[in-house]
Order: sequence, then C-alpha cells, then structure tokens
Amino acid sequence: MIAGTPFDGVSPAVDREGEVVITTRDLSRSFDDRVAVDALDLDVHAGEVLALLGPNGAGKTTTVRLLNGVLAPDRGETRVFGMDPNTDGIEVRRRTGVLTETAGLDGRLTARENLEFTARMRGLSKAESRRRVDLQLDRFEMHDMAEYRTAGFSTGQRKRLAMARALLHDPEILFLDEPTSGLDPAATRDVTDLIGSLAREHGRTVLLATHFLGEAGRIADRMAVLDHGRLRAIGRPDDLAAELWNGVPADIDLGGPATSEAIAIVASVEGVMRQEARATGLTISVRDRTTMARVLTALTSTGHAVYGASMRRASMEDVYFALEDSPMESFEQVAR
Amino acid sequence: MTLAQTPRNHQVFGIDWPVVRAVVARDLRAIRRSKAVIIPMLLVPFLLLVVLPLLVGIAARRASSPTSTISFLDSLPAALAGPIASLPPDEQLLTLVLGYLLAPLFLIVPLMVSAVLAADAFAGEKERHTMETLLHLPIADRDLFIAKFLTGFLPAVAISWIGFTAFAVVANAVSWGIVDGLIVPNGLWLVVIFWVAPAVATLGLGIMVRVSARSRTTQEANQLGGAVILPLIFLAVGQATGLLLVDLAVAFAAGAAVWMVALFLVWRGASKFTRDRIAGNA
Ligand SMILES: Nc1ncnc2c1ncn2[C@@H]1O[C@H](COP(=O)(O)OP(=O)(O)OP(=O)(O)O)[C@@H](O)[C@H]1O
Ligand SMILES: [Mg+2]
Repeated sequence: MIAGTPFDGVSPAVDREGEVVITTRDLSRSFDDRVAVDALDLDVHAGEVLALLGPNGAGKTTTVRLLNGVLAPDRGETRVFGMDPNTDGIEVRRRTGVLTETAGLDGRLTARENLEFTARMRGLSKAESRRRVDLQLDRFEMHDMAEYRTAGFSTGQRKRLAMARALLHDPEILFLDEPTSGLDPAATRDVTDLIGSLAREHGRTVLLATHFLGEAGRIADRMAVLDHGRLRAIGRPDDLAAELWNGVPADIDLGGPATSEAIAIVASVEGVMRQEARATGLTISVRDRTTMARVLTALTSTGHAVYGASMRRASMEDVYFALEDSPMESFEQVAR
Repeated sequence: MTLAQTPRNHQVFGIDWPVVRAVVARDLRAIRRSKAVIIPMLLVPFLLLVVLPLLVGIAARRASSPTSTISFLDSLPAALAGPIASLPPDEQLLTLVLGYLLAPLFLIVPLMVSAVLAADAFAGEKERHTMETLLHLPIADRDLFIAKFLTGFLPAVAISWIGFTAFAVVANAVSWGIVDGLIVPNGLWLVVIFWVAPAVATLGLGIMVRVSARSRTTQEANQLGGAVILPLIFLAVGQATGLLLVDLAVAFAAGAAVWMVALFLVWRGASKFTRDRIAGNA
C-alpha cells in the first residue's frame, strides 16, 4: 500500500549515525498534583527507533510534548539537536514531525487542503507544497480521496493522512504517537515497514509511543518502558524479554511428577526464580541460559533421570506484565 | 538544503507573516464551509441592517402625524433634539431613526461576528483536536495568537463595513423624496463604523479569548460568551441612545473607552496564550 521509498528524490539520507539527537535529564512534569513524567533520563541516537512503551496514562504523550516544546518541564531539561525545545521550540519543531494521538484533521477541509496547510506552515512555497502533498498522497494511496473533506474519513484513512502530514517536510526526527492504533493488519504492516525503512535506509530517528508490546518488540531498536511517568527499563527488546525480570520459562521432563527432593535441588540452584511441579516433571523460570545448564547438571548428578528439557521464549507480554506487577525498586538498577 | 536552513527573511516586527496568513486563510476557508457559524454571522447583520431599516422607513413614510416624533424628541438630550427638531416634520422620524437610533444597535454586528468567530478559532480548535497539531508546528505562540485574533477581527470589520454600505443604500432609498440629501453617512455614523465598531469587534474577541480558555467546546464558549456579551449589548444600547448620540466628542470618548477595555482583555489573553497553558488545559 505504501509505495516507494519515503523521500523519492526529495532529500538524501541523513547521516548522523550514532550521534545523540535527544537527551533528557531528570525531565519531569506534573498536572496539578498528578505526576505525568517523573525524572526521565533518556538518550536517543540518530537513526534509531526507540519505542516508548507503557500502559494508558504512563506519560508517553506528555514526553512527546515535552520533547517538542509544546509543554514546559517543571524540572530537569531536555535537548533536541542540542537545542532546548522550551526556548528554541520553533527551530526544534521545524526539524521534527509529529503524528499526534488523534489525527487532528479539520473535517471541513479536504485531505489535500489539510496537507497543504501544514506544508505552508512549514515554510514551503506553493509549488513545492503541491509537489510534496502529491507525493505523500500517492505514497499513502490517498490520491483518490484527496478532494474529499476529511469529516467522512475512516479512522484508518485519517491515520494515514496524518502520517503523510507528519512526513511532508522530511523531518529528521519523527514522533509517532500510537501510529498503528485503529489500523487493520495490512495497514499496520505497511506503517511498520515504513518506520523501519525511515530509520534504516534514511537515517531518520523515530520515537514511537505505543502500548502494543508486540509492535514495540518488532520495530524498535530499543524500548523504554514507562509506568506512572517513570522509566522502568530500557534496552533492546530481546534483552528485555530474555534476560530480565520474569526469567525464561522452561519445562523439564522427569517422566513423572517431580519429587519434593528434586524440587528442593532445583530451587537451590542459583538463578532459578520459580519452580513448580507438573504431571511430567516441573516447570521453572531461570534467569538465563547458563542457569538452565546448572539446573540440568544438579539434577543428573543427584541421580534424577532427565528425559527432556526445553526453554520457551519469553513473550513480550510476559515482560510487560512482569513489569507492571513488580515493585518499582527491583527495576531501578536496570533503568539506569 | 534542508528545511532547517531555509532563510526566513519575511519577518516584519518579528512576526512570521506567511505563517500567520496561512492560519488565517485556513480558518476562513473552514468557516465559510461551516453553516453553524456562517448563518448567524450573516443573518443578524441582514436583519439589523437591511430588514429593520426597510421596515422602519416604510412605517415612517406612512406615519401621517409627526406628533409621536415630537413627544419622543422631548425625551432626547438637547444636543440631539435640537438639530432634529429644526428639520421639517416629515423628515424628523426618518432622520432620527435611521440617522441616529440605529447606530448603537449596529454595533451588535461587529460584537457578534467577532465573538462567534473567536469561539470557533479558540474553543473550536480545541474541540476538533486540531489545536494539538498546530502546537506541534513551527509557529510562535504570539504569531498563533495574532492569526487567531485576525481570524475574528478581519471578518467582523469587513462584515460591519459591507453591512453598513448595504444599510446606507437601504436607508437613503427608503427616505428618498422625503429627506433632502443623504441621511447616512453622517458624522455619527462615520465615528461609529471607523472608530467604535473595530473597538467593539476587539472587545468581543477579548471576551471570547478569555471564555474559550475555560471551555472545552465551541457551544460551551458561545453560551458562556453570550452570558457576558448579551448584558453588555443591552447596556450599550440603553446607554448609547442617551449618550453616544449626544455629540461626536462623546462618541469618540465612548469608543476610546471600549478600545481600552478591549485592548486590555486582548493583551491579557495574549500573555496567557502559551503552548504550555493550551496543552496543559486540553
Ligand atoms: N493536560 C493535562 N491535564 C491534566 N492531566 C494530564 C494532562 N495531560 C496528561 N495528564 C495526565 O498525565 C498522565 C500521563 O498522561 P499521558 O497522556 O502522557 O499518558 P499516555 O502514556 O500518553 O497514555 P495513553 O496511552 O492513554 O495515551 C495521566 O495521568 C494523565 O491523566
Ligand atoms: Mg498518549
């Protein structure tokens, strides 16, 4: 559905590979007495896709607003391209593109008019505005809808148009607030592919706010897990899933229910986080792969026959709920 | 060349006019397509400035006995009653009503148009969730405010002036053959349309900017704004028949007073119109 490379003939890839383009230190913002973002420390590198992952009310949208100079922090600071969005907001916003949570289209205007307005606001000439709007309408297969007022558009059509609008001026940083909510699976995949290509082929930096764990895990280079405004964990999705917190679930086949002796032996192995008897043996959670090796050695060296052992891959959901259920303190060291 | 380096040398007084113009143009285009906004905005001036003078004129032409006019003249301030009383009796009623009494009523037009448009520009933008999009664009808080102000101000003044032109045609046509020369424009009307009307439009905006910041929807803003503006209209009309008409110096002074209040309200509104406040109230 979304054809071609994002910026056909518009501009070359930005090469800032690895450079830190967004930093925040102790960034905090409350509304009345409710803390929306709490002492956030974050570094985002050029060309990276960073997912801000968290449940409703975690502070994702507030973070985006703070980074783009729409809200001022109560405490702490942030730099985008080395500039303070609070004082150099206009300059920052020239170089960022935002997909807001609600598409924010004026229903009384046509798709084209909505986009052309944004293009003009971004300082593009009339001719250049038209050219870029056409390009984006084509890319998002919205050309046959171009002259319709957006009031009648479906959620997915609005989202696509809003996405087209965010990309109009070829921004170096994209803030995408729940880009796939309301999209069907095909459109979701298109957007996911697009985000990947923006970052990997065109060097754009993408900050993606989402509460879909699977999505974050698939697209993001790193995920930052937010809850109640606090950064609970940050890292590569695989690392978060496989190594942290809940452990990796594994099944051990002992040919029958585990004896209490076997359970005690397993429990005493360092790195075992949970063990439970099953009809065919036991199910355990281990901190990492090496723990698994120690468990098997401990069992066989004490005369237990092990018929089979398999580690399951922790799903993103496991990580998510583990984070949600656990007390804050246990994550603080992980969250830098 | 990336957009970031595009030279921006069209700033005058530090205001990015192309950006301001883009917002105003978009708002006006959207408003033209919005029946709920456009109908009251055109209907009220039409009734007030075309239908009413027409009816008054026809009634006045038919009024055979000028006695009612004479008794009414007694209750008017001497400064006004004098010049009118010196007119031939059959010219008195038309000149009084069309030349003077309608002038304060006319001010409802700029007040109402600017209030309705300001509600749409400020509260409506919030309601449609388009404000957030605007806040994420490279426009300064102050420029955004200026654009929103102009969206209300320019049509309010334009409609007032066009409406006045229509009124002048109707008023002079309807008194044709009875009154010597043109009834409007006279000195009072000139002060009203060029001095007081823009002040009143600004006042409507100042009030609605304030009200819109506290409302979530256009309807809420209109209701709240109506609660403030309607008593003001009655007050103005009631006072104006006694005061504004007396002489031009008083009309000027009244206009100046409105300007002062209006500019104060707008200035207050502008200083509170910051991204952080708007987004923080959303
Ligand atoms: N303008 C505001 N006024 C009052 N409270 C606010 C405002 N904006 C955010 N909050 C509060 O701050 C917290 C974080 O909100 P935020 O919108 O950033 O969350 P989010 O992670 O984007 O949630 P969602 O997934 O629902 O979009 C919430 O408790 C919310 O109620
Ligand atoms: Mg949100």
